[in-house]
Amino acid sequence: MATNPMHQFEVHRIGPSLSISGVDVSFTNSSLFMLISSILIITFFMIGTRKVNIVPDKIQLLNEIVFNFISKMISETAGPKAKPYFPFILTIFLFILTLNMIGLLPYAFTVTSQIIITFFLAVVIFIGVTIVGFAKNGIGFLKIFAPSGVPIFLFPIIVAIEIISFLSRPISLSVRLFANMLAGHTMLKVFGGFVVSLGIIGGWLPLSFSVALTALEILVAFLQAYVFAVLSCIYLNDALNMHH
Amino acid sequence: MSEFDDLKKKIELTKNKYKSSLPQNNNNIIAMAFRIGIELVAAIFVATFIGYYLDKWLGTKPIFIIILFIVGVASGIFNVVRSAKMINKG
Repeated sequence: MATNPMHQFEVHRIGPSLSISGVDVSFTNSSLFMLISSILIITFFMIGTRKVNIVPDKIQLLNEIVFNFISKMISETAGPKAKPYFPFILTIFLFILTLNMIGLLPYAFTVTSQIIITFFLAVVIFIGVTIVGFAKNGIGFLKIFAPSGVPIFLFPIIVAIEIISFLSRPISLSVRLFANMLAGHTMLKVFGGFVVSLGIIGGWLPLSFSVALTALEILVAFLQAYVFAVLSCIYLNDALNMHH
Repeated sequence: MSEFDDLKKKIELTKNKYKSSLPQNNNNIIAMAFRIGIELVAAIFVATFIGYYLDKWLGTKPIFIIILFIVGVASGIFNVVRSAKMINKG
């Protein structure tokens, strides 16, 4: 048994080593868990929409709850103009949620505890929102850096602040998800290690802590997926409804 | 059709019955609270990073790194204030 709490985050190759023009594209445990979560999501919706009734059965009801939840969140944060982006937000939310939740199972790998994965997701959203902003508002999208009603001598400072704040979006988006998942899973593992080393007499206290932490981690796993989706919506809102 | 209306009425009745006991939706507030800590750090990090490379490129060490660090702190505080406003709005 591995006692190193960081051992669970190691990426290793499964199967043969592949490379395309010098870039390593081998199948890893990270890819495996991404594949598993995608398959889970697809099966969940396939079963739910297999036959659609007015009075839904249990799995169809679950599908509808997820749909309504995201739909409500988008219309609350980004308004009716954001409706076309519903599939994208739903996909992002479900993908991250499933990855976070699968990572809580023993022996599973948490894909979202890899900074490169979360950073890539955040950069896709960042670039996507910037493109949407320029496509919808043209050059007027640059007004996002220049709020109205600012005295002329403060103008350069405000513009600099707004540009930095805009550029820090992908960093804050990715680091939040990554740090929460990494910290939570390390803590679970450390408390698990305490149970083993304290034995049958002293191990009960860390064991009860472990149980409580698992509950907390389930909340965090859900909330982080939700935060990611909500912030994507808020950024979309900035790009779609420019009113300053 | 009357069957359908009956069901609708029944659903409404049950909904009203449980309305008061349902937990309030605090997700948005918690989500905003999660933003605050990291937002401050991220702005400072990005600004200092840009400053460091501007200095390296222009050979003006340490002017830009100092200026951009201060701008980064200001921007981080701006972000935090903005998130706090969103929490107050609900």
